Amino acid sequence: MIEVRNLHKRFGSVIAVEDVSFCANDGVVTGLLGPNGAGKTTTLRMLTTLIAPDRGIALIDGLSVAEHPVEARRRIGVLPDARGLYPRLTAREHIQYAGELHGIPRKALESRTEELIDLLEMRTIADRRTDGFSHGERVKVALARALVHEPRNVMLDEPTNGLDVMSTRAVRELIRRLRDQGKCVLFSSHVMQEVSALCDRIVIIAHGRVLADGTPEEIRTRAGKENLEEAFVSVIGSDQGLLQ
Amino acid sequence: MILPIFRKELKDHLRDRRSIFSGLLMPILGPVSFLAMFTLIASWVRQDQPLTVPVAGAQNAPSLIAFLQRHGAVVETAPPDYEAQVRDGKLDLALSVPDDYGKEFEAGRSAPAQIISDSSRNKSRPQVYRARRLLELYARRMSALRMIARGVSPALVAPLELTDVDLATPEKTAANLLAIMPLFLLMAVFVGGLHLAIDATAGERERGSLEPLLVNPVSRFAVVAGKWLAISLATAFAVLVSLIGYRLAIARVPLQDLGVKFQLGMPQMLGMLAACVPLSLFAAALQMTLAFFARTYKEAQTYLSMLMLVPMFPATFIALQPIKSARWEMLVPVLGQTLLMADVLRGEPPPASWFALAALSPLVCSAALLAWAARLLRSEKIVFGRGAGG
Repeated sequence: MIEVRNLHKRFGSVIAVEDVSFCANDGVVTGLLGPNGAGKTTTLRMLTTLIAPDRGIALIDGLSVAEHPVEARRRIGVLPDARGLYPRLTAREHIQYAGELHGIPRKALESRTEELIDLLEMRTIADRRTDGFSHGERVKVALARALVHEPRNVMLDEPTNGLDVMSTRAVRELIRRLRDQGKCVLFSSHVMQEVSALCDRIVIIAHGRVLADGTPEEIRTRAGKENLEEAFVSVIGSDQGLLQ
Repeated sequence: MILPIFRKELKDHLRDRRSIFSGLLMPILGPVSFLAMFTLIASWVRQDQPLTVPVAGAQNAPSLIAFLQRHGAVVETAPPDYEAQVRDGKLDLALSVPDDYGKEFEAGRSAPAQIISDSSRNKSRPQVYRARRLLELYARRMSALRMIARGVSPALVAPLELTDVDLATPEKTAANLLAIMPLFLLMAVFVGGLHLAIDATAGERERGSLEPLLVNPVSRFAVVAGKWLAISLATAFAVLVSLIGYRLAIARVPLQDLGVKFQLGMPQMLGMLAACVPLSLFAAALQMTLAFFARTYKEAQTYLSMLMLVPMFPATFIALQPIKSARWEMLVPVLGQTLLMADVLRGEPPPASWFALAALSPLVCSAALLAWAARLLRSEKIVFGRGAGG
């Protein structure tokens, strides 16, 4: 379970996150939807202990991220905004490096690596150095790396951004599968269609504030609109997020 | 959790052939240039080489020739084109005795003779010098004999008896080349892990792999410690390569010909390592922290290249103004090691406590730098680059 309460963060004179509170439950896909610059990435970075909030609290499974950063990181799998890979290491070595950093024993790590290679359909690229990988292949490696320790909580920052249709389908499939395994999945996106296709619950963020929070159904009803797209526009007051 | 990071950095680095090559270039350059220059100088001043004097017109001055031969010179008949050969450097010198030498000599006048040499050639200078010395000695003897024959004391025309006591022998010049060995070893310390230090820090951030690394359940300290150990190992390896290079070079050099009683045996090698390894740890910590601090990869390269100049200062200072090693100087990183290595080279190894002192301060500094680097990684400005965030 992932929870944030009254998060606030400013960079110099820019207020990135004004007052964000929401809760993402296990077995549910929660989407952070908002236009670019809304504060989604900053919120995720505060949850992953990379940025310290000025005010407010971030909790992973009820554990304060600020007080127990290492334990919190143990419980999350993260596909960060930066999917950076090491060009001289193979896909498999990336997965194993992450596994070693999670302290997974060698035997278990080997079988888990094989499992992820199959799950993400990366058998043909598993032992190639990542230098020259396509964008989709890179995201796959980064995803496998994030999931190696079978985290209960998964945070994905714009996971389908820039992917082709086939890769997007594969990632969506993976997200549903994680939810069915009872994981807490939190992902951010600025693409409305992406969120509506996947999410059980949507948190709409703009200008560092939560503007709406609920199931797609609830958000539509509350905005008094026929479809989610119009509801989104009416909630954030612009159609910025619809442009892909 | 330090170990996986250490292993990964090494594996990654070992696959980076180009940066390994560039990292070892400088450490190998020292021994190679030493070998080349030493061999060259040795061939110029080789002492067992007899003085060979090609003489044109030897039949004109039999007593002079006999004198030269008595003093160990090998007298040869000069080839007809000896002037051209001297000009081309094929002959070091030639002695020409004209036909009227005997006549003038008999008459008690100054007999003509020419030494043909090319003063622009350093290589032939020692030979010319030796030949000239012999000829001057002969001239002095003859003048003394002539004066005695006329009842004049030779001391009358020699109010001053000058004797050369030249301390700067060519051998010493050659041996001085060894004095730059500590400098090259220190350069190895600051260049051996340079690329890895940048790649593992500024490079890690620039390729976007720092963020995924830091979301793992590993303390910031473990991250910097793992990277630091990998950089240190790369650095120490460069030092070792340089040191082995020097050992191989010195073994091939005709040291005996130069009368240099210098050896790079096991004790000296160990002394050098004892000085350099703690410094490697310090250099690695300094490079890593600076490179984390740098805004970009390029900026990190600039910082660390400037850092390479650090070993130059004490080495230059000592070359210009030789100082006797003092205990407190051991506490100054780089300076302490420079002095230690110079003493080891001279065959006057300092006490073990000095080595310990010289190791202490780099280790303390390394610990402080590691703590600082770990702190830097808690700062979002460092992790995401300054000015970023959103």
